[in-house]
Amino acid sequence: MAYKDFRDFLHTLEKEGQLLTISDEVKPEPDLAAANRALNNMGDKTPALFFNNIYGYTDARIAMNVMGSWPNHALMMGMPKNTPLKEQFFEFARRYEQFPVPVKREETAPFHEVEITEDINLFDILPLFRLNQGDGGFYLDKAILVSRDLDDPDTYGKQNVGLYRMQVKGKNRLGIQPVPQHDIAIHIRQAEERGENLKVAIALGCEPVITTAASTPLLYDQSEYEMAGAIQGEPYRVVKAKDADLDLPWGAEVILEGEVLAGEREFEGPFGEFTGHYSGGRAMPVIQINRIYHRKQPIFEHLYIGMPWTETDYMIGVNTSVPLFQQLKDAFPNEIVAVNAMYTHGLVAIISTKTRYGGFAKAVGMRALTTPHGLGYCKLVIVVDEDVDPFNLPQVMWALSTKLHPKHDAVIVPGLSILPLDPGSDPAGMTHKMILDATTPIAPDIRGHYSQPLDSPLGVAEWEKKLSQMLR
Amino acid sequence: MHICPRCESNRSEVVTRSPVKGAWEVLLCPVCMFTWRTSEPDSITDPAKYKSAFKVNPQDIPNAAHVPPIPEWVQGRS
Ligand SMILES: [Zn+2]
Repeated sequence: MAYKDFRDFLHTLEKEGQLLTISDEVKPEPDLAAANRALNNMGDKTPALFFNNIYGYTDARIAMNVMGSWPNHALMMGMPKNTPLKEQFFEFARRYEQFPVPVKREETAPFHEVEITEDINLFDILPLFRLNQGDGGFYLDKAILVSRDLDDPDTYGKQNVGLYRMQVKGKNRLGIQPVPQHDIAIHIRQAEERGENLKVAIALGCEPVITTAASTPLLYDQSEYEMAGAIQGEPYRVVKAKDADLDLPWGAEVILEGEVLAGEREFEGPFGEFTGHYSGGRAMPVIQINRIYHRKQPIFEHLYIGMPWTETDYMIGVNTSVPLFQQLKDAFPNEIVAVNAMYTHGLVAIISTKTRYGGFAKAVGMRALTTPHGLGYCKLVIVVDEDVDPFNLPQVMWALSTKLHPKHDAVIVPGLSILPLDPGSDPAGMTHKMILDATTPIAPDIRGHYSQPLDSPLGVAEWEKKLSQMLR
Repeated sequence: MHICPRCESNRSEVVTRSPVKGAWEVLLCPVCMFTWRTSEPDSITDPAKYKSAFKVNPQDIPNAAHVPPIPEWVQGRS
């Protein structure tokens, strides 16, 4: 089931008791970020926040933490809000296999209501604010950015829809961080090799399904819009941009159209990142904004990002795990059971698998390192048996503590690639990686004393049923 | 003219004023691109109290690493 637009999803959150409206006056700094940080500290079932009384503004409305919990993630998929995480993972994987679902094209969209092409001032139009104390400025951190492949503009899937941090650096200027592992870096390179600007469009305040698809590590030629259709179970609605041949999400609140300026680099950052560290300041590309349109009284969406867990981790937990799961299943269709790559965007990945013979689990770990997402993440891969739930960390710790022999089961592969934001990478972008094989050794890998695994007393299943009825 | 709390250049300019008159202004430093709101805590707005680990020396800015590097113009690409 599809949400009509961003507001439709907010209404659902409200109806389900997952939206908390704060009508007391708050200061843009530090209150907005502090309230969100506090909420993220309060567990994994928290509501979204809606602020409508912000000091100095007359009618700013800001939504935050919109997908910042497992109930909100379940509601994004149209599932009951108390759906267990593992069930959300398998349902997401099932829908992922429905890809691609072609888009539905529209001529007009609600965001065409108000249009600005002269004297653009992003600081006037958007209620911007600082998130963390060391941030170099105010950021757009939950906007999706659309761009097209210049070498092959007709292959639909090569149009990219991605989530990138963008610093507001002038009345019509943004800075963007294109991590080399991400698709936008390819498009910028293509444009700069031609000495041309790269046309882009930015959408703020989108339904959560396109934000989810935009933050899923799809293959380069897979369309995020066609994946959004698969996830929501019906075609995703798009409308053309005005200054470029780019598709925009129909349900967005605000659209910015502009171009990445060829050959320009300008000081950007630092920014408090999902790694729990600041990124440092570097010279990054610049986007000039030429046109803005938005709904009347737009609702602005931001997210708090910092030390995990924050909204980012709920947003990219399941949808990072599923592509790894599918790509591992392509290689080992009869063995792979589930993948949990939810920790710090998959810098740690836990894989549950059957094993065919001694050494098999290590091969599964090596394959994870060579998947497209693994090239930039998967610094530590933990492989566990089929009966260990990778989403149940006490079970994973049990496997590590009892199945792993450091002499045989810790494999370090030197000199691999990693995203440069990993604060431990040295130089930035390079790291050793490690596979921990916490599966039970099987022949011909005969070692340890594993012939007497603990079983349960007889009749446990009946007692579970009986006790759960008594506790109702 | 305002002093940038981060790089201490004196070239910062007002980029917007609060819709409610007199609540705050937002300033932008064209040297280090730092942005701040005048209503923020003084650990952000006061050059003397800005955290030393986050200070920026204007002389270092031209040497900041390019991410990504600017590629060579490739003749014949279009
Ligand atoms: Zn400065």
